[in-house]
Amino acid sequence: MISITGMFIPCLFAGIPFVGALVCLVCWSDPSRVKRAAIIGSVISLASIAGFAGRLPAPPDGFLPLYLLPVAALVSTLGQPVHEAHRLAWVMTLVLLGLGMGVLTAGHPFGLLFLITLMLIIMLLLYCHHTTLWPISWWGIGSIGLGIVGAGCSFAAGPPISSVASVATCAVLLPLIPFHNGYLTALTRLPGSLPPFIVLLLPVLGLHGLATAMPTMPKKFVAVVSFLALASSLYGAIKALAQSRVRLLVGYGSVSFFSILWWFVAGAHQATPRAAVLAGAVGLATGGLLVAWQVIRTRYGDDVDPQSISGLAAAMPKYAVLLSLLGLAAMGIPPFGVFAGFMGLLLTSPPSSTIGLFIALTAWLAASWYIMQMVQLLFGLRRADLRYADLRHPEFTSLLIAVVTLLALGLAPTSLYSSDQPPNNAAAMERPLAWNR
Amino acid sequence: MLLSLVLIVPLLLLIAAGIVMIGGKPSRFTRAKVALYPIGLAFLGAMGTLALLTSQDPITVRFYDPSSVASFIIPIGFYVDRLSAVMMTLITGVSTIVYCYSTNYMYQDGHARRYLALICLTDFVLICMVSSGNLMMLFLFWQILSYLLYLLAHNHLHAATLGGAFKTFTLLRIADTAFLAGIALAYQLYGTLEFQELFARAAATPMTLSILPGMEVSATTVVTFLFFIGAMGKSAQCPLHLWLPGSLFAPTPVHALLHAGIINAGGFLINRLAPLLGLSSATLHIAFIVGTVTAVLGATMMLVQNDIKKTLGFSTIGQMGYMIMECGLGAFSLAVFHLIAHGLFKATVFLNCGNVIHKARQEPHFFTMDHEDDGAGLSRLTWLTGFVTTLLIPLLILLVTHGALRIPLLESQGTVIILFFIWITSSQAILTLIQLRTVASWKVSAAMLLTLLFIVFVYLFAVASLTSFLYPNPEEVASYFKAVDLQDWLFDLIVVMSALVTILGWIYLYMRAHGRTVWMPAWIEGIRIRVYTVFLNMIYADWLYQVIGTMTAQLVHRIDKLERG
Repeated sequence: MISITGMFIPCLFAGIPFVGALVCLVCWSDPSRVKRAAIIGSVISLASIAGFAGRLPAPPDGFLPLYLLPVAALVSTLGQPVHEAHRLAWVMTLVLLGLGMGVLTAGHPFGLLFLITLMLIIMLLLYCHHTTLWPISWWGIGSIGLGIVGAGCSFAAGPPISSVASVATCAVLLPLIPFHNGYLTALTRLPGSLPPFIVLLLPVLGLHGLATAMPTMPKKFVAVVSFLALASSLYGAIKALAQSRVRLLVGYGSVSFFSILWWFVAGAHQATPRAAVLAGAVGLATGGLLVAWQVIRTRYGDDVDPQSISGLAAAMPKYAVLLSLLGLAAMGIPPFGVFAGFMGLLLTSPPSSTIGLFIALTAWLAASWYIMQMVQLLFGLRRADLRYADLRHPEFTSLLIAVVTLLALGLAPTSLYSSDQPPNNAAAMERPLAWNR
Repeated sequence: MLLSLVLIVPLLLLIAAGIVMIGGKPSRFTRAKVALYPIGLAFLGAMGTLALLTSQDPITVRFYDPSSVASFIIPIGFYVDRLSAVMMTLITGVSTIVYCYSTNYMYQDGHARRYLALICLTDFVLICMVSSGNLMMLFLFWQILSYLLYLLAHNHLHAATLGGAFKTFTLLRIADTAFLAGIALAYQLYGTLEFQELFARAAATPMTLSILPGMEVSATTVVTFLFFIGAMGKSAQCPLHLWLPGSLFAPTPVHALLHAGIINAGGFLINRLAPLLGLSSATLHIAFIVGTVTAVLGATMMLVQNDIKKTLGFSTIGQMGYMIMECGLGAFSLAVFHLIAHGLFKATVFLNCGNVIHKARQEPHFFTMDHEDDGAGLSRLTWLTGFVTTLLIPLLILLVTHGALRIPLLESQGTVIILFFIWITSSQAILTLIQLRTVASWKVSAAMLLTLLFIVFVYLFAVASLTSFLYPNPEEVASYFKAVDLQDWLFDLIVVMSALVTILGWIYLYMRAHGRTVWMPAWIEGIRIRVYTVFLNMIYADWLYQVIGTMTAQLVHRIDKLERG
């Protein structure tokens, strides 16, 4: 009975989005119906998870990623205007959602097969989709290819090579320098609703892999990972500060936050549900910001310079409020999920070094500059030559769902996603010995 | 009853914000007026809380399990003791006045609704902050307050205001990050964020931290130092004071609330954590130094400003420096009294400064460049008044504190240093004698002395009463004073130096008033003008901030360029 449940539920979770994708293909000629089918597919997927996730054995990183994936798919699909050019993105969002569900719920080796398929599809999409503004990036495609090779090696080789290969794949998915190019390329090149979905999908899958691989990692390798994570968090913050293009700014900013997550996971030698809160919240906040940027792109053209857009606060109040809240969430201000995840890790995983803690906090602080600067640019003085139009209903709903989910992630206890217990006080009193070295 | 009041007070403020925000345009003025009632009720509630706490123990309300604070990231709970009740009364009292004033003042402003709602929300956040049940909740509202400050100082139609708001937010974030690090470290070390438990564990288990190889520091020093940096930001302590002058474009009522309520957050945090700070002499000494530097710089910059709002802004910085200095000397309750007195005073002044500007525009007064009065000199009576002010009053203070109030003067260096600062401050009052020179009347002198005496004694008795109210255990108060004891030579040096500065200032003023030449090295004369320019330009701190920002941006772009090849 258990094995039947164990097989049936992953099939159900992965199958619903695929069915949704098929329905989309059936009504291909009508973009509005395609969008509606994609939305319904995401909602049914979320409902099925709410109904059946409890029957699955709890993974080390908890059930939160399972819930967040359909939410992210819903947010990214809703945020796109109805246009025939977006049909492929909506269908692919559902396909990737199905594969992602498969990776998270199907055990070894099916999960790995789902993952390899997913990365192959992204590679293919990256190969097909590029513009003059965003030319083809072989580094990005190569990076995803490396992830596929790593996944293959982890399947074929024995330990410790399999662990190292698995971590390399995770570094491609949950971006860590020097493997971050695949993530950034996907975020900047993929069309329509895919980037806001991908920024959550890839890191969540990376963390899922990391939760299995990290405990078996050799200690020396973990030290290297810790060092890379700290360097990567600073690198991401510096690169984000230097960007004038919003998609890159948001992308590098998220790389910085994910690297902080890497540092915590490496320090604790495990990925807990609190790590999933941070990964999910950063992914969702980044996705929300990308949807918000999509709103600007829809009105003022692709890759518009944010310095040439201002005065949105007074003319587009709904947009201004939601963008502000997303900005706050993305820079780690309470009571949103990014803060909760960051704080949860800070409190429960003893930092492995004081300097590391300082660097992580510096990267966290830097987000206040680059994200606030971006938001501030958009809110500046009102321009007479711009035509302002506030959010349409689907855009508003999409951003609102992102904000409410981030708020829920910040306020809900982590025991909702997993039954793991926080360290008791006695343990905390013993821990200072580690500090007193 | 007390429990209901603790929950109702913040709720009323939230309701007030809702009344202002929700509704159509035609009813906005009516709603703005109606919202005053819940704010006034909140003030009454806060007073009721204060009255009840005079006879009851502190109250704790928890909506979480304290043993699992980490799993519930934002643990909502309230801890209301006498300190919280005093702060709640101050905040709601000032808010009621400020809000009442604002409804008329902002009547024609296009952003009135936003500002009024933000004022109510800020009050709500402040009340939740001062009645927080644990450090995490305190930090949550502390952070929200930083953002609300940004919004209050924010006007997207005015570029300079926008810049000031950005500066406010980023500078406060630096301090907030240190606060966050302190919380994480405290939890890692002591396993709790509950105030009383944290204090007990920190006192029971002294630990050291190895910050760098071979560098061991007391754990409480590191934790309290990080908390202190957090307090420095909100209290506008040097070098994190820049946000306060930068936010001066905000509407006047916002300033009244900012200078009377929000800026006290730092003082409140230090007082809330007083038992923890009392365990670290090093942090208290740092607080003393930072506070003194801020007080001196703030007061000096205030003297050379030519804009009423800037003058008041720097005056607040100076007063906050003074307040932090008092904390650094272990006089925590004195700091609370100071922030209450300063808050009430500054709110009054800010709410009146619009009238002053209006009057000045109607009857412009131009400073004359001639010095006809210079030769007049000061009369004997004036000098006698000065003598009494600077020497007899401090002596009286000394006798009263030692005799009537039974403050252990000889046992605590902190009290003596505070007295010396009172002496310096009262000597500063001698400057007002310049205003008396043309009057030289015994009535004026007597009135001035009597007023000064009255204020000083009321102040002293109020401080003594507040101390016994907030810290009923005299041993606790004595332990804070003891914790800041300096090395004897340093204490003697401070006392001698402050005495010398006061006496030399006196002599200089006396000689100048009698037309005698005071020999001064040429380089000092040259420096005076330069120093004036430096302080007029706010010690070029803004310029430095800009340079650092530009250099960082250049470095970041260079690294980006290098990386891209």
